[in-house]
Amino acid sequence: MTTRNRRTFLTQSMSALASVLGAALYPARDAHAMGDDDHLKLAWLMPDGSEPGTRTTALRRILQEVEKRTSIKVDATSHVVTIGEEMFDYPMLFLSGSGDFKPWSDEQVDHIRLWVKGGGFLVVDSHEALADGPFLRAARRELARIYPDDKLTEVPGNHVLYKSFYIIKDPRGRVKAHAPLEAYFEQDRLSVVLSPMDMLGAWARDGFGRWEYEMSSGNETEREYAIRMGVNLVMYALCVNYKDDQVHIPFILKRRTWKVE
Amino acid sequence: MIPDGYNSGDLLWLGDWGPVWIVVLTLIGVLVIGVSAYDLRGLKPLRRFTLVTLRALVYLCAVVMLLEPALDLKNISRVKNHVAVVVDTSESMSLKLDEDGTTRMSRVHEVLPDLAPYIEQHKDDHIFHFFSYGEQAEGILQSSREELESSSSDGKFSDLGSALKAVDARFVEEELGGVIVYSDGIDSGAMGNRTRRGEALDSTSKSFVESLGVPINTVAAASQEGLRDVAIARVMRDDFAFVHNKVSVDVEVQVIGVPEQPLTVTLARGTEELQTRQIQLTKDQTLYKVRFEFVPRQIGQEIYSVKVPVLENEALITNNQSMFLLRVIRDKIRALQVVGRPSWDERFMRRLLKRDPNIDLISFFILRTGESLSNASRNELSLIPFPTSDLFDKELGSFDLVIFQNFNFGPYNMRQYLPKIEEFVKKGGGFVMIGGDLSFASGGYARTAIEEALPVGLPAGRGKLIDTSRFRPELTKAGLRHPITQLAFDPATNTQLWATLPEQRGTNIVGKALPGATVLATHPKLRAGGKPMPVITIGSHGEGRVMAMTTDSTWRWGFESLGDGGTPREYQLFWHNAMRWLIKDPELKLVKLELAEDTTHPDARVEIGVRVSNSDYSPAQNRPGEVVITHTPHTPTEQPLTLEPLPIQTNSAGVAQIEFVPERTGVYELVARVNDEQGDPLEDRQLVLVVPDLREFQTIIPRDDLLEAIATQTDGAFSNIQDASKARSPRLLEPRTVKVNRRKVIQLWDSALAFLLIMMLLGAEWTLRRRWGRL
Repeated sequence: MTTRNRRTFLTQSMSALASVLGAALYPARDAHAMGDDDHLKLAWLMPDGSEPGTRTTALRRILQEVEKRTSIKVDATSHVVTIGEEMFDYPMLFLSGSGDFKPWSDEQVDHIRLWVKGGGFLVVDSHEALADGPFLRAARRELARIYPDDKLTEVPGNHVLYKSFYIIKDPRGRVKAHAPLEAYFEQDRLSVVLSPMDMLGAWARDGFGRWEYEMSSGNETEREYAIRMGVNLVMYALCVNYKDDQVHIPFILKRRTWKVE
Repeated sequence: MIPDGYNSGDLLWLGDWGPVWIVVLTLIGVLVIGVSAYDLRGLKPLRRFTLVTLRALVYLCAVVMLLEPALDLKNISRVKNHVAVVVDTSESMSLKLDEDGTTRMSRVHEVLPDLAPYIEQHKDDHIFHFFSYGEQAEGILQSSREELESSSSDGKFSDLGSALKAVDARFVEEELGGVIVYSDGIDSGAMGNRTRRGEALDSTSKSFVESLGVPINTVAAASQEGLRDVAIARVMRDDFAFVHNKVSVDVEVQVIGVPEQPLTVTLARGTEELQTRQIQLTKDQTLYKVRFEFVPRQIGQEIYSVKVPVLENEALITNNQSMFLLRVIRDKIRALQVVGRPSWDERFMRRLLKRDPNIDLISFFILRTGESLSNASRNELSLIPFPTSDLFDKELGSFDLVIFQNFNFGPYNMRQYLPKIEEFVKKGGGFVMIGGDLSFASGGYARTAIEEALPVGLPAGRGKLIDTSRFRPELTKAGLRHPITQLAFDPATNTQLWATLPEQRGTNIVGKALPGATVLATHPKLRAGGKPMPVITIGSHGEGRVMAMTTDSTWRWGFESLGDGGTPREYQLFWHNAMRWLIKDPELKLVKLELAEDTTHPDARVEIGVRVSNSDYSPAQNRPGEVVITHTPHTPTEQPLTLEPLPIQTNSAGVAQIEFVPERTGVYELVARVNDEQGDPLEDRQLVLVVPDLREFQTIIPRDDLLEAIATQTDGAFSNIQDASKARSPRLLEPRTVKVNRRKVIQLWDSALAFLLIMMLLGAEWTLRRRWGRL
């Protein structure tokens, strides 16, 4: 055996040993993941059962960004659900589009009400980028049937949605929001968020890695902020007001006197 | 002029004429006189006056006869009123005034005979009654002067207000002329508590003593001259406290006759000295207040004592210490949720815990790992470092429950804290590990301190650590009735319910349950150690409880089931029950010892209730058992003594009632022992603190100021036996009630003399009128 061969053998042996030890101490996540069912999935809510015509890559792309930037494991496959039982496999859904859409049936309204009140989080995003465009008008009309006793309210600027992962002072999608996000609240939790910013338009990217839609400002650096908004939405869906807790921890700990004098 | 045999006379008017008639008759008289004067205007003035006067007299006599005057003659005598002489026979009266052994009570014994001449002197006006107070919580006891002159002073109560109220009630039908009180003024009742030493009588007490309507004469049996004592006069605190929350104990120390010097007040828990407070004694101050603040360390009962040192020549040393039992309870379940990565399982668990008002939740989620890309500066991220030292070293003991939810410790240098978590459980904490690819063996917990605490073994090899197939957990026999997995009372319904819950998406692979652990649900296909693999397993580790839940998709029981027409009830019930079981919620105890009082005095009866439930929490009927009582005296030199066990048998409601009478002071530990349906022993324990009855000695400084204030307020006299210059005779009300022995009414109008008088006047008027030329 030559010197080179001995060195190679030793190097390879040490590498193998290190691999075994490393694997024993910190098992690789992918090797032991609970399976795709365990991963975060997002889906389009298509009440009429159709397929989303545009921005079809947006959810897959934002999921990829979420996985890259956070500890969340994702299933970056596009899913589409209609209003019905299968909604309850997805606690976070996106309703996006443009133009008016036909009213939902009473049964569909009941289903969505059950879903949001049971813990679902619906993000409504307009491709029109108009705060009072036909799509958002139709969405508001149908949401009012889900929440007949509640009003759509503005999401305040200090809401935890804007600090669930990134600190966002100026929310934007493909277009900059000229009106604040609106939402329905389920107790202290956002259950439905309405965005006129075409966030999905900012996230959509084709198979060659090209952005599908130009940013309205023409400034591509602003796309990063739109992606951050998407990450925050996902993080909010999973952690809700956890970040508010963090603010309170020093006070909670201070309130308690832990030690006997 | 009153005839002999009568000593009182009154003029009566027997005619039944009302005021209107009197006015009418007066007007008629004026009219008669006016008409006469006018008719006789031609006569000389003297003649005119004479005739008018005669006519007026005639009219007056007629009216007087109409009113029927009479003389009411009576022979009357006054009725004696009652005077209550009330002597304080409470224990504080047994305190010595000097080194000769003269007590406050013996001073009263000495002066009571002096009351005899006064009683003799006023025997025509007053009847004297003698009472004592102090023997019973409220009221007075009838006595006599002779009895009181040799009475003992061992009463446990000195409620002067209650005694006065009883005197008032005793003479409610009779006339009370006054009260004479012999006491040292120490009043453990409402009046004494309301009126602090050196302060004026409060308005309520003023109104009360005035409401008796008689002078209350007070005789102080002692003054504070020459008295030397330090006493824990009062300990103000709540009967229970919340664990890990600050507790305040306010102590009043009463000092008399001690020169200016510092004095140390000590608070102790059991034999452990907790805190001391220093007070500087001054010449003019007798009452000092100190406050202790501390944090109870664990749930249960703790014996505390507050004491001051014994000084030389103290009048009493038993009041230098006061003991109390503090029941420490949980106000909220303090849960720490540590999550390795955000997920729906974490989200629904957090939502459940946050909504529960009984849970104080601190969550910590790993939002980003070392592998995550960063496209932003630190200032643009809302992330904070994982405070491992704060959570698992400094603050761990403050939590009741730690939840590891799909959390791996490896990347966070946490291996050093795992033994601390295991120790936390051993000392009584709750711990639950919830599955996921970062949990159990795939989280690297095999061969760690955490594995020692878990109720299941973990595979240590590099084999399969996760199974991703869907499954429904199957209940074991134990799981059918255990409160955690009992989602329906009926076992058949429970089984059916579990069979319809949404499927779980994969499981961690674990080994078989460890000895002593209870498997509540198993995997339908996977096996461990030749048996179905545990999915839900519980167990104990030291004093604490642990649970292993090998899946990470129980959230589907609460959300996915909605889509199938179900409710989130099963998810909520399962986890709420699990939390309650993990923190040893007293409500989930199968045997519970219940006491009406946890602090008492020697020879007082203690009632004990033992409530026993079956494992399905139905009443355990006709279940035999025993209560073992161990007495630990306050004196450290004596050894604890276990008494003969008291047998018990539950009734149809699953309750057994017994009682025992502690004979000595100290701490009595009661342990109720009953076997469950399988014959396994169950027990519950409670402490009873038996302390000497020191109510009378917590403050021993005489309250002559209170006695004087009461006397002053009621126009009574105040005297002090120790100060002859302040001796005053009692002030009593004169009897107001009289008795009529004989009575006679003489009708003055019904006589010939009155008739003749009228006739004479009429005749004179007629004669003179004729003579002076009038018809």
